[in-house]
Amino acid sequence: MSILLPLLWLCHLANAALTISIPPSTHLPNPHILPATTHATLTTLPAAGAGDRDPSHILTTSLTRGSTLVFNDIPAGHPESYLLDIRGGEYVFAPYRVDVAADGSVMGVWETFRGNPWENRGAEKYVVDVAGAGAGKKAADVVVEAKVLGKKGFYEERAKFSPLSLVKNPMILMAIVALVLTLGMPKLMENMDPEMRAEFEQQSRASPITGATTNAMTGGGFDLAGWMAGTAPNPMTSAEGATGRETTTGSARKRG
Amino acid sequence: MRLQAALFIAACLSPAAAIYSDEVNHIEFHHALLGAPSPDSTFFLKPSSSSNASLLYTISEKSIVGAVNPRDGSLIWRQDISRPGSAPSGAGILRGLDGNNAVVGAAGDSISSWSAQDGKLIWENRFADGAVADLELLELEDASATSGSRDTIVLTSGEGAGVVRRLDGDSGKTKWEHKDNSGDVPFQVSSSPSEIFYISLQSAMLKGYKIKVTSLDPITGRQNRQVTLNTESDIASQDSIFFVGANTASPLIVWADKSFKSLKVNVIGTKQINTIPIDNASGQEVQQITVHAPHRLNSLAHFLIHYKTETGAWAEVFHTDMKSSVVTKAYQLPYLQGQSVVATNNINANVYFTRVTDSEAVVVSSASHGILGRWNADVSSTDRAVHAVADVVTKGKSVAVRSAVIRKSGDWSLIRNGQTEWTRPEALIHTVAAAWVEEEDQEDLVHELEVEGHESLIGAYIHRVKRHLRDLQHLPDWLKELPKRIITSILTDEVSNLDSFGVAKSIIVATKKGRVYALDTGRQGTIKWSVQAEKTSHWDIKAILTIPGSADIYIGDGSSVRVNSSTGEIISRSAPTNVKLQSIATFEHQVGSSVVRVGSLGIQEDGSPVSLFDDITGFLVTTSNDGRVLGWVEKDNKSPVWEFVPPAGQKVIKAVSRPSHDPVASIGKVLGDRSVLYKYLNQNLVLVTAVNEQVHTAGFYLLDGVSGKVLYSVSRSGVDPTQPIASAISENWFAYSFFGDAVDESSAKGYQLVVSELYESPIANDRGPLDAAGNYSSLHDLPLPHVVSQSFVIAEPISHMAVTQTRQGITTRQLLCVLPSSNAIVGIPRPVLDPRRPVDRDPTSAEAEEGLFRYAPYLDFDGKWYLTHSRDVAGIQTVLSRPTQLESTSLIFAFGGDIYGTRATPSQAFDILGKSFSKLQLVLTVVALAAGVAFLAPMTRKKQVNMLWKAT
Repeated sequence: MSILLPLLWLCHLANAALTISIPPSTHLPNPHILPATTHATLTTLPAAGAGDRDPSHILTTSLTRGSTLVFNDIPAGHPESYLLDIRGGEYVFAPYRVDVAADGSVMGVWETFRGNPWENRGAEKYVVDVAGAGAGKKAADVVVEAKVLGKKGFYEERAKFSPLSLVKNPMILMAIVALVLTLGMPKLMENMDPEMRAEFEQQSRASPITGATTNAMTGGGFDLAGWMAGTAPNPMTSAEGATGRETTTGSARKRG
Repeated sequence: MRLQAALFIAACLSPAAAIYSDEVNHIEFHHALLGAPSPDSTFFLKPSSSSNASLLYTISEKSIVGAVNPRDGSLIWRQDISRPGSAPSGAGILRGLDGNNAVVGAAGDSISSWSAQDGKLIWENRFADGAVADLELLELEDASATSGSRDTIVLTSGEGAGVVRRLDGDSGKTKWEHKDNSGDVPFQVSSSPSEIFYISLQSAMLKGYKIKVTSLDPITGRQNRQVTLNTESDIASQDSIFFVGANTASPLIVWADKSFKSLKVNVIGTKQINTIPIDNASGQEVQQITVHAPHRLNSLAHFLIHYKTETGAWAEVFHTDMKSSVVTKAYQLPYLQGQSVVATNNINANVYFTRVTDSEAVVVSSASHGILGRWNADVSSTDRAVHAVADVVTKGKSVAVRSAVIRKSGDWSLIRNGQTEWTRPEALIHTVAAAWVEEEDQEDLVHELEVEGHESLIGAYIHRVKRHLRDLQHLPDWLKELPKRIITSILTDEVSNLDSFGVAKSIIVATKKGRVYALDTGRQGTIKWSVQAEKTSHWDIKAILTIPGSADIYIGDGSSVRVNSSTGEIISRSAPTNVKLQSIATFEHQVGSSVVRVGSLGIQEDGSPVSLFDDITGFLVTTSNDGRVLGWVEKDNKSPVWEFVPPAGQKVIKAVSRPSHDPVASIGKVLGDRSVLYKYLNQNLVLVTAVNEQVHTAGFYLLDGVSGKVLYSVSRSGVDPTQPIASAISENWFAYSFFGDAVDESSAKGYQLVVSELYESPIANDRGPLDAAGNYSSLHDLPLPHVVSQSFVIAEPISHMAVTQTRQGITTRQLLCVLPSSNAIVGIPRPVLDPRRPVDRDPTSAEAEEGLFRYAPYLDFDGKWYLTHSRDVAGIQTVLSRPTQLESTSLIFAFGGDIYGTRATPSQAFDILGKSFSKLQLVLTVVALAAGVAFLAPMTRKKQVNMLWKAT
């Protein structure tokens, strides 16, 4: 009773107001850029059985010029535990739990976590000083700071055209490798020692693919259909023999 | 395997398909609306004393205060000042002063001051003793006004008492108040440089009213003197007074005698009544008299009286002698046929009148009748102008004027020097129904194909050859267009033109005020045509049903209107019947990938169909006005075949069924181990929501529409029935949302979204009782579904739900939710809302492969899900979705307050070459390859020749 009386007196003096200020933070360096549609909502459901005693259990207030949100007249009548949501465009704010006494004065403000038990309170933002309730000036105007949790990104980034992406194209990559090989090989050959080159040339001439190509070019015509059917002699066998022989000589020389 | 799974999760979690910033205003459009501007509270205002730029401010009939950029008609800010608790008492009031960065608005019993530049709140106040009747900003040049903020004088009228208050411009706190308990009708407040006048109407002995003017001291609010004018013979009601001068150097009260023969003018504060004979040369009865006077203290004491008759209008300009308070006529603006509106504004002391008529716009100075500027009006709209505000700029001798004209429909347009710069379709805010237009040409092709399908093989072949030959006539045109198309598609940065894929649809909307519009969703929602179908302020539209070429609008009294969907012409009307309709039911069935409507039927308020529906095979589920759900068959419209009554105390508030176009791409869900969970697919599902308002519970019942059998039910406690409860059902799942209060301390408090999926059995590869059956019967042994549910806590309420529709249902669906508290529409991808997400553990690799990820009770709406991105789309009641020819794309149209339309691509636009497809890169790659080939070809040829020569 000794606590209630000063509170009632207070309520009579000035309608207890809850002010939420939005301080600059890392996510929101300048709170003045918040859109004019920014608003705060106190939501609860009057206890069952209380019926529609008080229809205004959803309170809304708009953002002021000073980047604050002020609830001037929290309805009195029944102690309530409100969920405080702040919605401001792309900025996401932490939800708060606001407990209000029967006379409409704010008992305490805590951070709360969505999807968690209601009793699971987070950081305490404000709690009524029961011992010092006589010093009523403080209790009249409750000021808490809102906490910006992050920013929503609404847009998809479009990949920009860059020459690098052109280079990443596999077709282009293949073309570049082929180009390097064609241009680089003669240079490489020239720098090779003559014996090596002769050997390499012979080797490559005798290699199966080159052999086949040469065959094809000489007009002999590699009869693929015939080869697959097994009627034509396999050009690979001869090529293999040649390679085998050459390899042996090659390795023999290396040994020597 | 693991990597694959990880990639799959990444694919699922990656933003479904957010909008690219360069697609804004391209694939989507938004009409941000205020509602019809209130004529007395619309004005141009310079919000900052340092800048000369002015904005247009208004308060609309919906009590929305808004600032509009006069250059392009775009909305700069808006605030809804109507309070849900307080009853609206007529139109709101808005006042502002040049150079003062505040506009003060009032609606009902609340008054609030807003920063004129950015729309942020300065202060707000509520009065317990009645609604705000009038409001003025003090323009007093007293020394005490230090800052730019001006005080407000507000008059509230309660039961038998009027209170005048002076409110501080910075805090809104009351400085003084003057109470009038005499029982007079509080009427208006006005001010002069030295006094504040409170004008009330005193009931005379027999009938009529006397005007009582009470003069108050602006500093203290004390009463100085009181003047009563004997006007009881003229004034029968408040409407008889045309004008009470606001903030003019010599404020006026203007009224007329009952027969409109003469006009009475009183300078407020004096007893003298000037009588001016009305010089009516037109020979027609004067219908409307309006008074236009400047609103600035330092302006000349001149005013204009505008007389309107049935077919024309004229105006007279008067000068007031400040000393003797005598009013003399200066000159007259001639009588002109057609519509005419006058606006006034002043530059320093000079007063200018702008008159906009059917044929021209004219600017005159109040001092002389010489015409300063005259422009021919470009078009005379059929929509009559009712009011105008003007902004005149003088440069040497020439003048320029821009006038914002409010039209009868509520539309608002700006006319600059006779040219219409923009038009805001404010009347669309009353949209209550909308339907997509069915196009005729497409129907033709469908019809032809049907013919081919039914003919013999040879017949069909001949038919097709003939059709193709016929199509050849379009070839030259097509060829002519071709080079242009190729060049434009490479040069311009446009997204490829997809109009032929059905993404540019027209939509017909109808408003409560009796207007019907056609909007082109392909071209930023421009209005193709509009027509006033009915002269009413409350058109009780039940449904719009479209058929190729026309649209039928069904009204609650049983009547209907048919309009041509390409021109807006009214084709026919049907007379009202004597039954009152609750809704219109349509019978639709799916043919291939399109839906065919086979019939429609009115439903009475008690839930019974108005007639039998013998010719249609089908059944009907209706809700009755006493909170029951009823099932009907063809042959009986008197007694239902089944009836669903919720448990005692509960009332049915909503029933939803699967959309008529709801194709199912796969009848089962393939699990990670390649087994299949079979979906419970029932065409006839109905989800019923019932609430108990006393004990705050809500019941959700899943019914079979044929038999009325309850397949599944769930009850939630701690549900707030006054907050929106939305629900949607599609395929084999349904979702609902509500505000759930913490029943005890250990439960959560907040908005919840619940999603449930229906399966034939809980075991994979098993169809439960159905086993290998191809068909099932609703009437005999209908198996119950296996229901899996998960609830999420969400950050805000959902007022309406819909599901995206695509042509074949292969694309992932999105649950479209309207978020009324952040004025947005969000499309939640279905994979996120999978009730089989593992709880309290990480998914196994099989689950991860399926795309399931760990359940978290709080569902945070990703910014990429917002279809409306950073737009403020307010007041949406309904969201429509429509498939297009492209499987990836679904058209979205939202209405109810603002109008918003977009394209949703829930699985990204996989069948469209979007903007990210760089044609330039393709061309460059081809060119680079060609150059490479051209360079290498001679080299290779040389080498081969060499090889042949050197080998032998």
